[in-house]
Amino acid sequence: MVKGKSLLIGSGISVAIVILFVCFMGALDVKALSKTPDDTQPIMFRPDIITFDNMEVFGKLEKTKAIFLHDQHTDALEKINKDCTACHKTENGRMSQKFMRLKDISREELTKIYCDNCTKCHTEMIAAGEKAGPVKCDECHKERPSIQSSRVPMGFDKSLHFRHYRAQDNKCDRCHHEYDKKSQKLFYAKGKEGTCRYCHKEEPEGDATVKVISMRFASHLACIDCHQQTRAKHMDAGPLRCAGCHDAQEQLKIEKVKHVPRLKRGQPDNVIIKTGDEKGVIPSMMRVPFDHKAHEAYNDTCRVCHLASLESCATCHPLDGSKKATKNGREITLETAFHKRGHQSSCTGCHESKQQDKNCAGCHAFMNKTRQQESAACLRCHMIPLPERTGELSTSKAAKMARLMPQLWKETFGPIYKVDVPKTVVLKDLVNQYEPAEYPHRKVFDAMVKKLDGSKLAQYFHYDDTTLCRGCHHNTPAAGKPPRCANCHDKPFNEDNLFRPGIMGSFHQQCLGCHQKMGVEKYTGCISCHKERKKES
Amino acid sequence: MSISRRKFLGWVGAAGLSTTIGKSANAATNKQFTGYPKSFAILHDTTLCVGCRSCEAACNKVNDLPQPDKPFTDLSVLETKRRTTTTGFTVVNKYDNPKDSQNPVFYKKQCNHCLEPACASVCFVRAFKKTKTGAVTYDSSVCVGCRYCIIACPFEIPTFEYDQVLTPRIRKCTMCYPRVIEGLLPGCVEACPMEALSFGKREDMMTIARERFRKYPDRYVDHIYGEHEMGGTSWLYISGTPFNKLDMREDLGITPAPQLTAGALSSVPMIVGLWPVLLAGIYAVSKRKEKIAQTEKQQALTSALDKERPDESDIEEES
Amino acid sequence: MAQVTTAERKSIFSLFNLIALIVLGVGVYITYLRFTGGLAAVTNLSDYNPWGIWISFDLLCGVALAAGGYVTSSAVYLFGMKEYHSAVRPAILTGFLGYALVVLALQYDVGRPWRLPYPLVVQQGTTSVLFEVAICVATYLTVLFIEFSPAAMEWLGLKKARNIVVKLTILLTIFGVVLSTMHQSSLGSLFLIAPSKLHPLWYSPYIPIYFFVTSIIAGLSMVIFESTLSHRFFAFKMDETHLKEANGVTLGFGKAASYVLAGYFAIKVMGLASGNQWHYLKTGYGTWYLVELLGFVALPSLLYAFGVRTKNLTLIKFTSVLAVLGVILNRFNVCLIAFNWHLPSSERYFPHWMEIAISVFIVMIGLLLYRFIVTRMPILYEHPDYKDAH
Repeated sequence: MVKGKSLLIGSGISVAIVILFVCFMGALDVKALSKTPDDTQPIMFRPDIITFDNMEVFGKLEKTKAIFLHDQHTDALEKINKDCTACHKTENGRMSQKFMRLKDISREELTKIYCDNCTKCHTEMIAAGEKAGPVKCDECHKERPSIQSSRVPMGFDKSLHFRHYRAQDNKCDRCHHEYDKKSQKLFYAKGKEGTCRYCHKEEPEGDATVKVISMRFASHLACIDCHQQTRAKHMDAGPLRCAGCHDAQEQLKIEKVKHVPRLKRGQPDNVIIKTGDEKGVIPSMMRVPFDHKAHEAYNDTCRVCHLASLESCATCHPLDGSKKATKNGREITLETAFHKRGHQSSCTGCHESKQQDKNCAGCHAFMNKTRQQESAACLRCHMIPLPERTGELSTSKAAKMARLMPQLWKETFGPIYKVDVPKTVVLKDLVNQYEPAEYPHRKVFDAMVKKLDGSKLAQYFHYDDTTLCRGCHHNTPAAGKPPRCANCHDKPFNEDNLFRPGIMGSFHQQCLGCHQKMGVEKYTGCISCHKERKKES
Repeated sequence: MSISRRKFLGWVGAAGLSTTIGKSANAATNKQFTGYPKSFAILHDTTLCVGCRSCEAACNKVNDLPQPDKPFTDLSVLETKRRTTTTGFTVVNKYDNPKDSQNPVFYKKQCNHCLEPACASVCFVRAFKKTKTGAVTYDSSVCVGCRYCIIACPFEIPTFEYDQVLTPRIRKCTMCYPRVIEGLLPGCVEACPMEALSFGKREDMMTIARERFRKYPDRYVDHIYGEHEMGGTSWLYISGTPFNKLDMREDLGITPAPQLTAGALSSVPMIVGLWPVLLAGIYAVSKRKEKIAQTEKQQALTSALDKERPDESDIEEES
Repeated sequence: MAQVTTAERKSIFSLFNLIALIVLGVGVYITYLRFTGGLAAVTNLSDYNPWGIWISFDLLCGVALAAGGYVTSSAVYLFGMKEYHSAVRPAILTGFLGYALVVLALQYDVGRPWRLPYPLVVQQGTTSVLFEVAICVATYLTVLFIEFSPAAMEWLGLKKARNIVVKLTILLTIFGVVLSTMHQSSLGSLFLIAPSKLHPLWYSPYIPIYFFVTSIIAGLSMVIFESTLSHRFFAFKMDETHLKEANGVTLGFGKAASYVLAGYFAIKVMGLASGNQWHYLKTGYGTWYLVELLGFVALPSLLYAFGVRTKNLTLIKFTSVLAVLGVILNRFNVCLIAFNWHLPSSERYFPHWMEIAISVFIVMIGLLLYRFIVTRMPILYEHPDYKDAH
């Protein structure tokens, strides 16, 4: 029978151990204790990751997809004076993008090609005393790889295009081609050049007879091939490594030509926008003149507007839509194509995105995005009277009209108000903790007018000074003397007018909100606008 | 101790009757309280808050709280994350804005005046009350100071005056109940220069929030925090930054707090009703087994004696 | 029927008495500080951690460890296991003292202890689990007092009163089990309200059941533990029945504890499965949970079983300590360690030395009262005048 004393001592020691455990727990970072193993692996980011997924066409995969770092291998092969042909076979003068083969035949064959060739090379290098990749299955087919892709897509903008065709002595046929289904050959069609993406999409398309390769394939085939051949001639060329195009930092290093000369492809300078009425559909709104030449300069690529072809918009987007342009099965009508908010290709969408600029956001950030525009706004674009005969659209007379109408229309726009902006406005509606605020109205107004100088778009739409007034004096018609804020904004939390802030909230939301959006740091504290009121008591 | 059938039934009956004494606990319920009609709520729009701390100053003044070490105009306190204290019913905290690194996000934290408050559910002296105005008020005249409410509050709001000996109270935002019943605005709401706090009927606050989402879809995360969290609160939040980046827990669920203990409490009448029956039954069974064992022992003894002395039965009859 | 002679009593200046004096002295001083400076003066409690070791140890563990009362009395009186009869009175006494000390601890912990009767007499918060705990504990304390009173009445010679009270035994036992079931489980239910603050491995809708079952384990193990200590220090007060039954109690209760621990282990695992919490086992807290579950639940279950089978009393007695520590560990985990697990370590709680001192102080009072009662009243022996009882 155990003695009570030793039992006591024993239990005392156990209690001490427990208390020590508790202290230990208290000393540890408790958040770290709760981490699951997944959270603790460091992640490496690389732009040159290729995941081998070609076997998927042959059925369900047995192992996880192996990750391949292309640049790592390019660099390693360069060190031992080997080039692309070490892994890529050539066919018809062009290098195949596949590894050690020209076609995918069968699952067994693919497995053999990859596993045998990879491990062979790695084993050889290890035997030679070099650092090399894995030789065991699990080292390639990792369960949970700790590498993530940092690959950014590469684009071809006007500047890069200019540099390329300058280097090719303006020979467009070097890259641009069309495909003839009958002869199953590629050929060059002058006047029909467009971006590669018009035919080469994200995924390969077509049927068994005619396959249009994916953009990924096509661009690497065209670009890498050409760069390789050019370098072989000891001339300067674009990158061969993945990171050269697809790394975010490297992309910033690409030389940008400041003034790209206009690319001539038979496009008009000024045009009246077609609505598909060549096909007999008669539009009912006034026509819109469009300065195509100016707009070319505002964008980096043609594809921003010309999504699928370089023809006029109405070719794919007639008034009542066509099957050529659908989204989720729905035909995109002309109205949507030109007015859709939030979409860079539509007129309204692009113009609206410019309003987010720091110089504009002070007023524009607070405008209701879903508001119904007043009809005067429509008239800023819809101004050409309907022609008697549609034939007049394509004549030079129409082009002249398109060029001159916007300037003429400005004068026929209704009364231009003379704005007499007061120098200072004393806001004394809420004097309590603070003295009245003295608002230098004229100074602010003049600064706004000055900001318009930088932007033709802004100048066009702010057609008279009262437009600017209504940035702050909102929800009222245009007038030479707009109403005071306090005329509409009084006590807050009015049940009958839920969405209207009270006077204090209105002042601060308007002023501070604008200052915040426009980066005005000087006037953000309370006393920068109104001094503190010294209380008597 | 042997017990007759009559006695046994008597005891069981008494035990059963005794369970009818005492108040019934209205704990188990599937109903959800969606707020008193026309009760008030406050909408906090964090995209409007500029972190000026006027609300903290006003709260301090309205509730006669002692002045803090650093004045309310000192914005350096925003560099650390603070919580509510016995002298600060509300705090404003600053967070990074992933959309705009120049303009941080500010968020005002205080009691959320839940529709079904956890504090009111767990207080064993009913010191908390969900009033018709929407405010959850605290009555210090019955509070025992057990601090279960602090354990229960999922938003970690109530604070306790640990340094008080005779009158330690729980302290938290009152939604300025005395002011609201007089038709005034809560102190913080009245003071906010940006109207980042809107006051009105809960339904109206939701309408305002939805309208702001509709008008400025890029500005807001499409979620009203407090609409359903913990069964719904009377302090609603809308924000341009995901709520978990503002230290607002998004894993609290929508179950109102009282429902979490409703199951356990509903078992009480079951236990009180069934256990006595069960235990009395066990007692009866064990007594019966004892009796049978005794009888069998007697019988064995008798038969053994009979075997031993078969012709002494007349002696047996005497004893 | 042992008579105590003064010669057998130890000197009043024994080591234990000296330690007791120091503990009492410190305790009285801290009591003064508590009631002049408030909780802030003597505790590390904060707004993030309102419940410290006074709740976690004195209340949660105290109530669990005093569960021997209802477990033993129900075993003897309801299940008819008369061979454990000698363990009833000590268990009831421990239970009574335990609950009385819980009430004493509450006087320190609660902000306004003079208002503790409020939920009963002023305003009832019937939606609160704590209300149910308060009512049950108050009632059960009364029940325990009544169950204990025959021993005191025998000592005071109140024969008639004693005989009346003894007749209530069965009723009180049943009532005691009902009340114990409710408040033991409700102590666990207290934490049901805070799923966002309690680590998922410890939070479960089955917490009330876990707490109830562990109270049985604690009760059984404490009876073995205390019986061992009593035999060491108070053997001179024990009568023959007591001494004879002692080993039987240890073996029998050890066997029961082994079963209950095994059952508890099973329901804990099932709770893990139903909550789908397996992935948490890979974390630091998971390791700690496994320490609790394997080292302090599974291991005692096996050790008890082994000890009973081989009739190894030493092993059973050691295991009883392990099992008691396991229950204490579980209560500490639920209330302090796994609670507020989401907070940064700067906001976590560690008790102030004065809190620990008061807990020790309260335990010391319990020990001194136990010694006082056991050396005077018929707890460890049967009073010669009442041999007909039971």
